[in-house]
Amino acid sequence: MSVPGHPLDRMFNPKTVAIIGDKGPNYMWLRNNQPFKDRGGNLYSVQIDEKEIPGIEELGIENFRALTDIPEPVDYALVAVPRHVSPYVMKDLIEAKVGGAAFFTSGFAETGEELGVSLQAQLTEMAREANFNVVGPNCMGLYLPRVGVRFNPDVPVAEDGRVGFVSQSGTHSIMFSLVMGANGMHLSRCASFGNAIVLDISDYLEYLTEDPETEVIAMYVEGVKDGPRFVRALREAAARKPVVVWKGGQTDAGARATMSHTGSLASPHAVWQGIMRQCGAISTDSLDETVDAVKVLLDAKAATGKRMALMAMTGGQSVSITDAFVGEGFEVGRLSEGSYEELSSFFNIIGGSFQNPLDMAGTVQGKRETLERILGILDADESVDALVMEQSAMFGARQWKDHPERIDDLIDTLAGHIERSAKPFLMVMHPAHEEAFVAEVRLKFAERRIPVFASFERAAAAAARALPRATRA
Amino acid sequence: MTFAETIDRARGENRTLLSEVEAKAALAEAGVPVTATTLAQTREEAAAQAEGIGYPVALKVVSGNVAHKSDVGGVVLGLESHEEVADGYDEIIRSVQAAQPSAIIEGVSVQEMAAPGVEVIVGVTTDPQFGPVMMFGLGGIMVEVLGDVAFRLAPLGEGDARDMIDEIQGRQVLDGVRGQPPVDVGAVEAVLDGVSRFAAEHPEIAELDLNPVIASPEGAIAVDARIVLAEA
Repeated sequence: MSVPGHPLDRMFNPKTVAIIGDKGPNYMWLRNNQPFKDRGGNLYSVQIDEKEIPGIEELGIENFRALTDIPEPVDYALVAVPRHVSPYVMKDLIEAKVGGAAFFTSGFAETGEELGVSLQAQLTEMAREANFNVVGPNCMGLYLPRVGVRFNPDVPVAEDGRVGFVSQSGTHSIMFSLVMGANGMHLSRCASFGNAIVLDISDYLEYLTEDPETEVIAMYVEGVKDGPRFVRALREAAARKPVVVWKGGQTDAGARATMSHTGSLASPHAVWQGIMRQCGAISTDSLDETVDAVKVLLDAKAATGKRMALMAMTGGQSVSITDAFVGEGFEVGRLSEGSYEELSSFFNIIGGSFQNPLDMAGTVQGKRETLERILGILDADESVDALVMEQSAMFGARQWKDHPERIDDLIDTLAGHIERSAKPFLMVMHPAHEEAFVAEVRLKFAERRIPVFASFERAAAAAARALPRATRA
Repeated sequence: MTFAETIDRARGENRTLLSEVEAKAALAEAGVPVTATTLAQTREEAAAQAEGIGYPVALKVVSGNVAHKSDVGGVVLGLESHEEVADGYDEIIRSVQAAQPSAIIEGVSVQEMAAPGVEVIVGVTTDPQFGPVMMFGLGGIMVEVLGDVAFRLAPLGEGDARDMIDEIQGRQVLDGVRGQPPVDVGAVEAVLDGVSRFAAEHPEIAELDLNPVIASPEGAIAVDARIVLAEA
């Protein structure tokens, strides 16, 4: 699926990719993109250095001495040449009518030195004049998990990506992709855009808004060059699909001269928050907050109500889960009388409680029917908008290691409940002393689209940000 | 004087800060409710203007180089008669000259007193990246100490004014606390929308404060106004 006729469509859906200037001994970019070749794409190298060519051919990748020698039209090129060579490469890219090129090459305006600044100006002028699509420079370029175009050897190749990511930082684009993968969520398309000399954040945002594969958009942004255009693009995007904006850096903090009260109160952060609300975007301040918000958006059903039913396994946890959700503005109130009547018929109140929060380990005792019954009662309760359940690794891990079938049983129970229910369901699984084990278990939950969070606080914050815009049908 | 003429005059005099009288006239012209405010340059003028406005009135010094009017004795409130106003005029001139001999005094403004209510602040500033931005907050300590304010880009769209008001931590003060009646929130929205349109129509405005606007069950009215023009 693509966006036919869009100027960025070729580079975002490449059939032929050229890697320009990759070098041994690691051949990082050719290796990153091997999956593209494995999946039937035409992957070529462009390298004039005779010393490098045998190593490239050993990888089974055909090398050309000039980009213009490649027999097929090149849809996307990744440029990793020394900076002083970049204008010559740009000339060839334009001549060969390549769909778009990312410049991993750095050493431009970001250095602040004269040569870098003037080289960047030269590239910009050449590309603008030719109306040529440049990603970067000083960036990691595109990551297209479905076709196997990658910017890092560990980011997954995946057919089921639903999240588009745009990032001013290369590191954050890789980190986000990896952490998303570790949570069982994949990207549709990702662009690390660096110095943004031609294509800027709004261009990518506009493409992802149109892209049918992208159901949720997330981005990392430090500063925006064209504010009004960004606001227009963001409003349009957020009207069509949920958009999470992770803002880094406090630009021009407090430096402005002002003669008004309003001006002195208008910190860049406060103004940014207002603009995000006005555009209908979800605002975050960190990687984890962004991943958590995306998880709610993808795998929870939507709810605007604030009345939570909270289920914990012990007394202490039932207090803490309540503190976390109340702290984020949710209500943890009484259930309906009908629910209490039903719960009282079987709930074990010795060492347990069913007021809301429910303290229920002693009642459930690993019995699937009992958990299903409780979930059913809460689902039917008209004074409940959403359900959250705690199952920490503290007790869970030992049990699950001894009886792996109990994980599958729990997952079946919860996945079945979520499918039947119209209300959001979130799960909190603190890893306790079992980080590695929980990392594996969490993926099993993710496969069945049960959203799992590492702490009460993270679940509550993500719910507060994202539940009203959650997309699961 | 139209706002365009006021801008020309201020620029001709090489200043970016408009006087309160100028600012309020411009806002009134744009349909934003402000307390009636006129400039008097003698005690007799002040008293005559007070008769026209109706009692009680407030008097405030008008000066391009007095930063905080009340700190130099430049504000007198709650004057109930012709004599009180005339004497108040003299008192202000005397106090300001004593407290700040360098003050260039243009006169004294005679102002309608607003009925009591909840003080809120409505403002505009210009963000270097995004352009004109609106602000709303509760007045007094909420804005001074807690920074309990909300921002939106101007011009405001449908529902934006209400969202700004609802975003404030102290929102429930507007619904009435400790037996106070709820204020007319629709009137506060109207002030925000009116200022938003005014700012959007006049890119010459760099900053604007209506501080405070008094919101009450009967409406919302700006009792002080400050406009700073962008450098020409």
